[in-house]
Amino acid sequence: MNHSFARQLTPALAALVSLSALAPRLPAAESDDLQLLREQIHALEQKLLVLERKQEIKDEAAAAAAPTTPKITITDKGFTLASGDNANSIKLRGLVQLDNRLFFNDGGIVNNSLVLRRVRVISEGTFAKNYSFQFVPEFGGGSATAASAFTVLDANLGVTISPELQFKFGKFKSPVGLELIQSDSWTFFNERSLVTNLVPNRDVGAQASGDVLGGLVNYTAGVFGGVADGANSTNADFDNEKDVVGRVFATPFKNSAGSPLQGLSFGVSGSLGREKTASGRTAGYKTDGQQTFFSYAATTIADGQSWRVSPQFDYRNGSFGLLGEYVLSTVNVRPSLTGVKAELQNKAWQLAAGYVLTGENSSFTGVTPATNFDYANGTWGAFEVTARYSDLKIDNAAFPLYASVSTNADEATSYGLGLNWYLSKTVAFKFDLYQTKFGFAPGAPAISTTQLLRQDEKSFITRFQLSF
Amino acid sequence: MKLKTAFLFLLGLALAASAAAKSIELLNVSYDPTRELYVDYNKAFATYWKAKTGDDVTVKQSHGGSGKQARGVIDGLQADVVTLALAADVDALYDVAKLIPQDWQKRLPNNSTPYTSTIVFLVRKGNPKGIKDWDDIVKPGISIVTPNPKTSGGARWNYLAAWAYAKHKQGSDDAAKAFVTALYKNVPVLDSGARGATTTFVQREIGDVAITWENEAFLAIKEFGADKFEIVVPSLSILAEPPVSVVDKVVKKHGTEAVAKAYLEYLYSPEGQDIAGRNFYRPRDATAAAKYAAVFPQLQLVTIDADFGGWTKAQKTHFADGGVFDQITTK
Repeated sequence: MNHSFARQLTPALAALVSLSALAPRLPAAESDDLQLLREQIHALEQKLLVLERKQEIKDEAAAAAAPTTPKITITDKGFTLASGDNANSIKLRGLVQLDNRLFFNDGGIVNNSLVLRRVRVISEGTFAKNYSFQFVPEFGGGSATAASAFTVLDANLGVTISPELQFKFGKFKSPVGLELIQSDSWTFFNERSLVTNLVPNRDVGAQASGDVLGGLVNYTAGVFGGVADGANSTNADFDNEKDVVGRVFATPFKNSAGSPLQGLSFGVSGSLGREKTASGRTAGYKTDGQQTFFSYAATTIADGQSWRVSPQFDYRNGSFGLLGEYVLSTVNVRPSLTGVKAELQNKAWQLAAGYVLTGENSSFTGVTPATNFDYANGTWGAFEVTARYSDLKIDNAAFPLYASVSTNADEATSYGLGLNWYLSKTVAFKFDLYQTKFGFAPGAPAISTTQLLRQDEKSFITRFQLSF
Repeated sequence: MKLKTAFLFLLGLALAASAAAKSIELLNVSYDPTRELYVDYNKAFATYWKAKTGDDVTVKQSHGGSGKQARGVIDGLQADVVTLALAADVDALYDVAKLIPQDWQKRLPNNSTPYTSTIVFLVRKGNPKGIKDWDDIVKPGISIVTPNPKTSGGARWNYLAAWAYAKHKQGSDDAAKAFVTALYKNVPVLDSGARGATTTFVQREIGDVAITWENEAFLAIKEFGADKFEIVVPSLSILAEPPVSVVDKVVKKHGTEAVAKAYLEYLYSPEGQDIAGRNFYRPRDATAAAKYAAVFPQLQLVTIDADFGGWTKAQKTHFADGGVFDQITTK
């Protein structure tokens, strides 16, 4: 510890004493004075040493107490209360997304709207280092599964055995869709692509996951209640059957510093299960503008094996990011409880790219601006341009027995362009322009009976986002 | 038949695996000045245990002020054994957390105290302040180094030795209280443990005298040279009996009950006693005590039981919150 000041002072004091000692043949009174002076210097030195030692002891005590002193951290990632050794913590985060949706040339349909797309208070925590929880209620009115009601999006418990083996129980995102498992805050576009229509959303179940081979490969394997394409679990099992879900995702060049492939990750995911429902198969597949372009007939039910497979990749290199995925979703359906069963295969894919104009790194976990927007100081945050192409094709065997050929499109093809302005890590404005073209199955009327399918969907969605 | 052969083969493998040498780890939570003692002793015990059982045992050490260490164990520090400065700190493991049985002290000879020590003075070479006994250190202008009795076992022994001296000499508790009040007025800094106090006196060069464990004083001279420090033996001091105990709840959890018990029992063996003597602790064993008799000066020693009614009473009277120590140091 630092007691350098006394150490530095000591030679000076010693020199003073020595000089005084060298003074020749001083009278007795002066000699007494010198002795007194020596004693005073010694006393001063001792006082100084004591002060420094007290500080040293205080510092040592503080260092020893550090592991037990609770910590409060407030950052752009939320508010965290943690024990000194970080073994126990509670984190409070939030997400608010306010969308303005404008539609052009929509044949007179008035769908323009202002939507509180997501309003979430996210609480997460860790207990005894290895046990974690997450609770995410959704208050937003634009939720795909709840038009206006409060829903529990995530409620789960995690148990960490090692980096190679972790368990999660409860309700959380099913690990099939790559863009789906990305945080809502950090996707390239305001709305996920058409592909997300074909993968399960949040489901109730249990999964094991971990990083193996030195962190180069991540695996996930789980058993879930099973939900329809694009659907969230209603907190109870969808039916009596279960889905097995798995995903393997590799980042083989992760440790190859300087390689252009360092940011390449790829893998495959899938689900396999049986479903038997007494009611409708799905709420429908939606466009980028969140309008339904396909839904099964109300009487159609799932009955039999369903499986999905999704090859996927993500690539990041400096400011550039690219994400692609393909999904094949197979389901066995009946038009009614006693109708003829058919196996339908719906397919979708997307390719999305982003480039951060201001030079920050593109990342699966969001762009962190080098500087925050501060008008007074002339800093503007980060800007990212994005582009996307996606397509979803419905199995034509779905028509007309399992879905109406006159009210549904059998294909949606979407183009998107976007500009994201990150004022800070927590605050962003996002501007997206989408155009979606529709295709129709043989036998469809020349003019669709569904008004919104009569022309391309052209939408401009502006989002204000607060995410921490 | 093939199945039977395979079964026997697997059984053999299982037995061979279970018979293979085990690697065992113990944690000894101890007080401040015993670092060197247990470095020596752990090596000897590992050799002994390996020869006896074939198992490898590694003993990790944790040191600090005795009271603080006891608190750590109560709060969850996974000590297989504790070797603390005084019985009150080990008692706390029963009183507060029921980690050990109430009669823990009866499990080993000499009330589970395999070695003893006492309290002496360490002064600078030449004894420039002319310190010979307790009366000399309470004089105005004498700077004393002693740790904080709230956290250090050694400090509590220091305090009680001073108290005993004053009471023997002046005959009353009031006089003793006045004496220790004067003593602590001369203490400029309170370390949390004995080793910290040694650092203050020896390395930071603070103070005219350190009241310290006898073994710590010998060690300071051994480490820093007899040309720098010398030991002053007061006319009266206290018999310090540092106790040891297995932490029952922890060893049951770790499955280390047998080895932890043997670890403490071996302290009473001739080799254990010799190591204690070599590290300036007074051995209990007569042979080892005779071997090191010349090292340890003879002086009048009071005991905690005879002069203070045992540790429970002494702790409550002097060191509990609001006790005498708080009274004399709170202004």
